[in-house]
Amino acid sequence: MSGSAEAVPLLEVRDLATHFHTRAGVVKAVDGVSFSLRRGEVMGLVGESGSGKSITGFSIIGLIDPPGKIESGSIRLEGRELIGLPSRELRAIRGKVISMVFQDPLMTLNPVLTIGAQILLALEAHEKVSAEAGRKRAIAALAQVRIPEPEAKVDFYPHQFSGGMRQRVAIAIALLHRPKLIICDEPTTALDVSIQAEILAEMKELVAELGMALIWISHDLATVASITSRVCVMRHGKIVETGPVLDVLTRPQHPYTQSLLDSLPSRAKPGTFLARGGGVPDASPPARRSGASPSRGSKADASYFVIQDVSKLFQTPPGILRLLGQKLGLSQPSRGVQAVDSVSLTVPRGEALGLVGESGSGKSTLGRMAAGIYAPNSGTVRLEGEPVMGGGARPHKNTTRIQTIFQDPFASLNPRMSIGDSIAEGPIAHRIVSRAGAAEYVRQWLAAVGLDPTFASRYPHQFSGGQRQRVAIARALAMQPDVVVCDEPVASLDVSIQAQIINLLMRLRTELNLTLIFISHDLSVVRHLCDRVAIMYRGKIVEEGPAGQIYDNPRHEYTRRLLAAVPVLPTAPPA
Amino acid sequence: MKQASPLARFWNEFRESKVALAALVVVVLMIGVALLAPWIAPQDPYDLANLTLSDARRPPGYVGSGGFTHLLGTDAQGRDLFSAILYGLRISLQMGLIAGSLAFTVGVTLGITAAYLGGRWEAFIMRVIDLQLAFPAILLALVISAVLGQGKFQLIAALAAAQYAYFARTAHGAAAAERGKDYVEAAFSTPLPARRVVWRHILPNCLPPLIVVATVQVASAIALEATLSFLGVGLPVTEPSLGMLIANGFQYMMSGRYWISIYPGVALIILIVAINLVGDQIRDQVNPRLRR
Amino acid sequence: MLGHILGRIVQALLVMLVMSALVFVGVYAIGNPIDVLIGPDVSQEMRLETIARYGLDRPLWEQYFTFLGRVLHGDFGRSFVFGMPVLELILSRLPATLELTLAAVFGAALIGVPAGIYAGYKPDSLLAKIIMAISILGFSVPTFWIGLVLIITFAVELQWLPAGGRGETASLFGVEWSFLTLNGLSHLLLPALNLAFFKLALMTRLARAGTREVMLTDTVKFARAAGLSEWTVLRRHVMRLIAIPIVTVFGLEFASTLAFAVVTETIFSWPGIGKLIIDSITSLDRPVMVAYLMLVAFVFITINFLVDLTYVALDPRLRKARA
Repeated sequence: MSGSAEAVPLLEVRDLATHFHTRAGVVKAVDGVSFSLRRGEVMGLVGESGSGKSITGFSIIGLIDPPGKIESGSIRLEGRELIGLPSRELRAIRGKVISMVFQDPLMTLNPVLTIGAQILLALEAHEKVSAEAGRKRAIAALAQVRIPEPEAKVDFYPHQFSGGMRQRVAIAIALLHRPKLIICDEPTTALDVSIQAEILAEMKELVAELGMALIWISHDLATVASITSRVCVMRHGKIVETGPVLDVLTRPQHPYTQSLLDSLPSRAKPGTFLARGGGVPDASPPARRSGASPSRGSKADASYFVIQDVSKLFQTPPGILRLLGQKLGLSQPSRGVQAVDSVSLTVPRGEALGLVGESGSGKSTLGRMAAGIYAPNSGTVRLEGEPVMGGGARPHKNTTRIQTIFQDPFASLNPRMSIGDSIAEGPIAHRIVSRAGAAEYVRQWLAAVGLDPTFASRYPHQFSGGQRQRVAIARALAMQPDVVVCDEPVASLDVSIQAQIINLLMRLRTELNLTLIFISHDLSVVRHLCDRVAIMYRGKIVEEGPAGQIYDNPRHEYTRRLLAAVPVLPTAPPA
Repeated sequence: MKQASPLARFWNEFRESKVALAALVVVVLMIGVALLAPWIAPQDPYDLANLTLSDARRPPGYVGSGGFTHLLGTDAQGRDLFSAILYGLRISLQMGLIAGSLAFTVGVTLGITAAYLGGRWEAFIMRVIDLQLAFPAILLALVISAVLGQGKFQLIAALAAAQYAYFARTAHGAAAAERGKDYVEAAFSTPLPARRVVWRHILPNCLPPLIVVATVQVASAIALEATLSFLGVGLPVTEPSLGMLIANGFQYMMSGRYWISIYPGVALIILIVAINLVGDQIRDQVNPRLRR
Repeated sequence: MLGHILGRIVQALLVMLVMSALVFVGVYAIGNPIDVLIGPDVSQEMRLETIARYGLDRPLWEQYFTFLGRVLHGDFGRSFVFGMPVLELILSRLPATLELTLAAVFGAALIGVPAGIYAGYKPDSLLAKIIMAISILGFSVPTFWIGLVLIITFAVELQWLPAGGRGETASLFGVEWSFLTLNGLSHLLLPALNLAFFKLALMTRLARAGTREVMLTDTVKFARAAGLSEWTVLRRHVMRLIAIPIVTVFGLEFASTLAFAVVTETIFSWPGIGKLIIDSITSLDRPVMVAYLMLVAFVFITINFLVDLTYVALDPRLRKARA
């Protein structure tokens, strides 16, 4: 590198504005962003959803599709202006000088082409290469991103790889031409925390080894802190704060950065309201109907909610011919997926139990069996001695006492029903309220979850994710349950919204004396909310105990690995 | 923020496409004209007392013995073609809508039942339906109407039997997708009675793709009916649909009397194209993958 | 894989068996063939004798099993109308339909798929709008009406092309084909065009919808981010991804085109099996109807099977699942 090149930054973005011209009007996704990047520098771009961080990345690489448009500003790569460049010249830069890795590795690779063929296509985009040489380069590229047995794997199709492996392949393609800049858009968000830790470590090594610059786009302050040296915090299409990672995270200057940090449960004392989680309503939920469950409190707490030897096997039913073949011994019965493998748990009244595991651990299936949505293949779930599910697949009446809050607030509400109807439907069907009293009941619940009671006649699409989750909570609690199963209720929410929902759940839990089963992959949220924690791995519970004990003194090897994989924020020196 | 129901939102978006809106107006107009045919038509084309043979096969614009102008000419029996088209439209629309609704009811019931039952029953029902889908509708309708004989109800049965499978497959696909969604699981977790979950939750959310299929299928039922009538295995001569008017004029085409066949055909095509344009717009609107 | 193929064959045989029963019972319900077989002025003994000769006095199930037994020996019976073995009759008409159908389906795919990909790639361009306007017409206008218009335009008014018949044929593998002579080709053109129009519209719409969806996926975005040219993206990614639904529809449509040939053959007096079946329906020629329907069922099942195999070849995700 010559001295003169050193004087010009690798990338200089000035007053970038990228707008989307939609039906609803102009959305200023990126609205005057400026920053510059030195050669080999690793920079983080942090913000909540809709902050414009991804659009900034796509603007740099020149992949803004209509209705989006770069309105003004300048993007200079080694002094050369990229905005307004003919598409052929932009293409020559993409993948060669600047490359990009996307969020969801399951969606980025073409499912019908082998890994090798896709790497070859990316190679041929910028150089002439023979088939044989291309294959060698592909194998080398796979080896570089630590994919074992690259000679064999090069002929694999994407579906033969796990998510983490696919993301490695995407990274290999991005690194193919030794770009000077690589933009990673939430590259580990779709992955489990242990895979995330591996990819983070490998990325760090690769960046150091190849000397390229990196823009790491993420909503997660902790991952950004663990890989970058400088960070820009974005909000509403603007950069509100920028500086060295340690400075920004320990001495934030902008109130927004401060509020983001305050929203993190990992920085608060477990069980306390989160500082910036505002939005906790003053209104109390409507009183329980009298005599709802006469047995309340009469039984010993130790056997309040009991899950005993529960198993669930998912199996596709064989067709008639296959069934015949099996009877005749001609074909093997198809092996199903043992999602939950004889799990037993006991939850005392009023306790919050955290159920932690990575994707595919069976935690959601267990939650659905606890709530009486799925019937277990074997074993029982009992609430105060009464089975939650009777014989056969018909849910027992008792399941009204157990309600569920789901992960995705966009999917958990019927889009064609007003939220008032959604909330009132169950209570009316089970005579918790009369038809006449339903409207008032709904208004009380909306107030209790911090929504305007007049919203009852609105439809889900008129609400934000956080508001919908409040509606979902109201719907579950309006059934006046004793036990609530929360299946990743805050996983798809931004941290500031997440803090509000956590505060709301904590408040309602104490006010209604609820027993919680809180399912999550997020160890810090579980620690904040739960008294006891069970760690699930491959359908079994590997470790269970009081939250403090599990986190401070894990006994099982898997728990230890899981805890070690969580990226940790640098903490502020005591003020 | 207005309290726009999903339906109102849908309509606002629909209105933005001028082509689709025009097509919808055409469809509504044609339905209206067909309903009002006895009052609009200058002549009752099937009252033999009205017909004079000297008026036969006259070109458009001819002023006949009835004292009025035959806007679209007359046919081989001296019928006013414009009136015949209005009455034909009435029969064609009737056939398409009745057969379409019947196919819709049977198909959706089967499809949703299959999705709801799951397991082996689902596999069996869908297997049979897939098998039938593989069999071309026209052939099925042809054979069934041959088996049942000529007549309005026979033809409706044949058309519905040829088409219900499309509804069944679409309903099953949509219901199976909805079944796995959180809001349905939430309804089961409440728990709400199964009947209520199907009626209030699953069915309304399956409607958009079903409406798309319904538009296509009503259009194709009308075309199919015309084809069968053209081939002479559809409606009896006492129920002259547009297809039969076209067939009747076919033989005069070679001698240059094009209007007897062409104008009923144009009416048929305007109707089908308009229905399909409306269907296309709905399809684009309900496809979540194309939403911006 | 082999087990899968074997299973499919067993399944196909079962389906054929069910189809044969359905078809037999269905056709049995149509009219009384005895009126077709003999004139109204024949004596009562003659009448009973004919009934007995064709086995029409036997119970339905017995007739069915007799029929099934014969079919296993390749005997579909004799046509009431033509008085010749049905199999021979159908086989003599099959090549005409086959060449018509193949010409229509391949023509439709070769024009429709590229047009659809273009319309999906540039949905807002003028050409795309014209393509879609034509396709919605093709999708809407009944085949028989297009046939009429084609005849009026090209045969009656312009007199460029003949309006009916197969024209001169030439022999290949002992079968007469029209497409081998210039005159035959000129006869083939209009009916093939007629038959292709609907399929063309269908292929266009399908390719457009697929392309539009694939263009919005991350796969395409990632390929662009790697610097692939638009042409490479279209050729290597988009076409491979939309090939799967198109092949399915192509297969199914080939079979349904065989059926739609009924209409086209009637209009253009094309001497294929479509015309044969319409004639046999109007004349209640039972053996021909049964054999024809069985043939169509057989073609369907074979094509479905081939589509399935192609699927596995095109989509690697299915290979593992079925291995």
